[in-house]
Amino acid sequence: MAIGDMSNAPTTAQASLTIDGRTVEAGQGTTVLEAALAVGIDIPRLCHHPDLSAWGGCRLCLVEVEGQATPAPSCGLAVREGMVVTTQSERLTALRREVLDFLLSDHPLRCVVCERAGRCELQRYAYELGLEETSHDKEVARDLYQDDNAFFIRDHQYCISCTKCVRVCDEVVGATAIEMARRGFGTYVATPFDAPLAETSCTFCGNCLQVCPTAALMPVGRIGKGREWDLVRTRTVCPYCGTGCGLEVATRNGEIVSVSGYADAPANGEFLCTKGRFGLGFATHPQRLRKPMVRRDLANRLGLTPDQPPAGLGRSPLVRAPGLAESHVEVEWDVALDIVAGSLAEIVEGSGPDAVAGIGSALAANEDNYAIQKLMRGVIGTNNIDLCARL
Amino acid sequence: MTASERRGAAGAPQPPLQGEEAVRLAAQHYSEVLAGVPRRYLVCAGTGCVSNGSLQVLEALQVALAGTEHAGTNGRQEGWPKVVSITGCHGFCAKGPLVRVEPGGLLCSEVRPEAVPEMVRLIEAGEAPQEALTYHDPITGDAYSHEHEIPFYAHQQRITLQNCGVVDPEDIRTYFARGGYAGLTRALFQMSPDEVVGEVSASRLRGRGGAGFSTGEKWGLTRRQPGERKFIICNGDEGDPGAFMDRSIMEGDPHAVLEGMVIAGYAVGASEGYVYVRHEYPLAVNRLRRAIEEANLWGLLGPSVVGTPFSFQIHVREGAGAFVSGEETALIRSIQGERAVPFMRPPYPSEKGLWGCPTCINNVETLATVPLVIARGAEWYAGLGTQNSGGTKVFALTGAIRNTGLVEVPLGTSLRHVVERIGGGAREGRTIKAVQVGGPSGGCLPESLLDTPVDYEDLGRTGAIMGSGGMVVADNATCMVDLARYFLSFTQDESCGKCVPCRVGTRKMLVILTRITEGQARPEDLDRLEQIANVVCTASLCGLGRTAPNPILTTLRYFRDEYQAHIHDRRCPAGTCAALAGKE
Repeated sequence: MAIGDMSNAPTTAQASLTIDGRTVEAGQGTTVLEAALAVGIDIPRLCHHPDLSAWGGCRLCLVEVEGQATPAPSCGLAVREGMVVTTQSERLTALRREVLDFLLSDHPLRCVVCERAGRCELQRYAYELGLEETSHDKEVARDLYQDDNAFFIRDHQYCISCTKCVRVCDEVVGATAIEMARRGFGTYVATPFDAPLAETSCTFCGNCLQVCPTAALMPVGRIGKGREWDLVRTRTVCPYCGTGCGLEVATRNGEIVSVSGYADAPANGEFLCTKGRFGLGFATHPQRLRKPMVRRDLANRLGLTPDQPPAGLGRSPLVRAPGLAESHVEVEWDVALDIVAGSLAEIVEGSGPDAVAGIGSALAANEDNYAIQKLMRGVIGTNNIDLCARL
Repeated sequence: MTASERRGAAGAPQPPLQGEEAVRLAAQHYSEVLAGVPRRYLVCAGTGCVSNGSLQVLEALQVALAGTEHAGTNGRQEGWPKVVSITGCHGFCAKGPLVRVEPGGLLCSEVRPEAVPEMVRLIEAGEAPQEALTYHDPITGDAYSHEHEIPFYAHQQRITLQNCGVVDPEDIRTYFARGGYAGLTRALFQMSPDEVVGEVSASRLRGRGGAGFSTGEKWGLTRRQPGERKFIICNGDEGDPGAFMDRSIMEGDPHAVLEGMVIAGYAVGASEGYVYVRHEYPLAVNRLRRAIEEANLWGLLGPSVVGTPFSFQIHVREGAGAFVSGEETALIRSIQGERAVPFMRPPYPSEKGLWGCPTCINNVETLATVPLVIARGAEWYAGLGTQNSGGTKVFALTGAIRNTGLVEVPLGTSLRHVVERIGGGAREGRTIKAVQVGGPSGGCLPESLLDTPVDYEDLGRTGAIMGSGGMVVADNATCMVDLARYFLSFTQDESCGKCVPCRVGTRKMLVILTRITEGQARPEDLDRLEQIANVVCTASLCGLGRTAPNPILTTLRYFRDEYQAHIHDRRCPAGTCAALAGKE
């Protein structure tokens, strides 16, 4: 991504700086981290996210700046003309190892059974910097496990207090349902007065899960459903509203395991709402309609089935409602379309085109909605066309 | 026309005061009225004396004096001036409740309400008060009847504290009587904002909160920032264990703090200020609020300060009890209603501070000093200190020492002077071992370094810091490992938890120190401790983390043998670590 896309203010003035011996041009107001990433220099980081405010808490992105005695966090360091920055040195590697060593002392290393293994950022940097275990005495600060809602669990022992979840909830979603509570070693992500999430302003959009670097926040449906490398990730468009958010659907053996956003989706970046992230269960639901169905009385009249609908259908509330298979008959698409076309033609001939109306759907794509208005105006001959989103 | 004729013509000054002359006349009027009272009893109402019962002493004095000859003209609580009034902290907290009789400065210490009737009878009869109320030097046994003779006071130079223990913090007129708000009028009527900044720079006044940044330079930086809206913040979130310099100033001389803020506002171009005070200081909060009301009434705050077009308003914000709130970026977050966690600098508050506006944050002691610097001139103030740092510094002297309390000395004074001459040295049968300077962020200096001058640079070279002014004395019965463990348990607990090195590193150091004091040390613990300390110093986000290892690093530097005795011999040389007791 170009640097200009990341900063809010349009920048015209450019600064020329040196990062790891390379001359880099960057707009004034961008950070050293952004400038480095833009030219492909990767700097370790755990609390940074391009769409969130700079935090400076993980201390992994520390870099050395010529003329400065102590390393500075590149995520909050604005570029300056003539700056000379080093992102890799023995001293920095040693410091980063020490910081990771601290984090690992407070983190269960259950990577062999962890669902996040393979996509865990802590694991990634431990691997890159060669840390197998912590050199400190192990002490997990928080062992709180919360499963107070149907969508995701919060397993605080895996939390590294990067606060990305807090910032995304505040800065992107605007719900501000969570904040850090307590102090120091015991600090943890909490709801107001530790209330269950459902009693807070949480909208269960799950964008906190999206930015969580570890297994601290996991979708309920993801648990026990395989390791990262067992999953097939498919990019698609959300079927709910017309915004057209990009989804990345993770499946295993044809079953949806979890849904996430992906960074460069054109409509939504990587952030989703609760429907897109947690509402795709219908896709594989046994009651989902997969073929056209015709009412059994109509089908009987058209000679498609010898069976009559069950007696008493719809007559009394005391009579058991029939199942779909009892009230309807499954037919092929051609048959169903012929019935619809024939019925519409009959109505138009008998009562005129204005007896017909079409209603498009906000859940449908623009192309589909265009097609239905074309059908109404051009084929049926009526202006009776509307869309549910207008209501 | 003589002064008294002028006063007679105008009568008592009426609020609001408008113009330089009005403030000068108020000072003259009220100082003359106070001087006209033959005897005034000033009862210390600092937090220490109040908890020792000084308010009961105050009541007993009012009762005892109700029938005396000059009480009639003054009344008890009504009327003015009062024969009995409260003051802020006198400093000599170890001897409270304190009552000083003015003029003259006769000091009665450890006054109980029962002793008051006899005390008043003797004093009113022109005799010395009871022997038990007279201060006796613990070493020589000499009696000292007057405050200025007592070694604890005689070896100090009280500049910033000059009004503490003298003015009634709930009565602006006593502040006028001491020349209050003269600094403000000099700034407003005789100086441009740039000249005020220049004057403060020339005084070599440096931030008394601990870091020692030049106050004038800080004002200049904020002044030069573009922006319509700027803020002054007074940092009263004094959190070091055992430190109470700022509390005493806010409780004892709140108008000095307000006057300093208004001058700062004029200098940097701000029209609004916040005093951020810990809610654990309710007396300071109440007196500041009252002082703000009085200053508004007298036209020293508000839309037209002393009748000029300059407008300034001050708000009080209470902190919710976190040490890290004293860190300037965290403090700003807290005023904004957010969680008090520090943020990366730059941008500094002078560029982007409160609500994104240029903000000048100064410590209480710094701001309370400003009026004097302006009123008496930079040259006078700079002359009090050293080449690099002008003026005086207030310390809260505590620990294993004879005289504890609040002391003020010129910068450059040796630690030995403070500890031995003012503090009276070690208690009987003990010897001074070390002084922890600068609170939990500071360092522990051995007796051999007591000749170090109290100055930002000199203290910095020893591994300690000036800090906000905590000074804890340790004697031979103090275990230095345990002392380091104590300070670290404080910083570990007060770490905000934002950055990894401070959040986890302070915890790991505390675990090791606890292990050592419990006789469970491992041979590699010393190296490990030093390694972690260096990482926490280098990689932490804010000053809290960066300085948290100082007590460990300095005790390791000067008292390594004590660590080694704990680790290798399983022995505590001071004999205080319980798990190692009996192994001496």
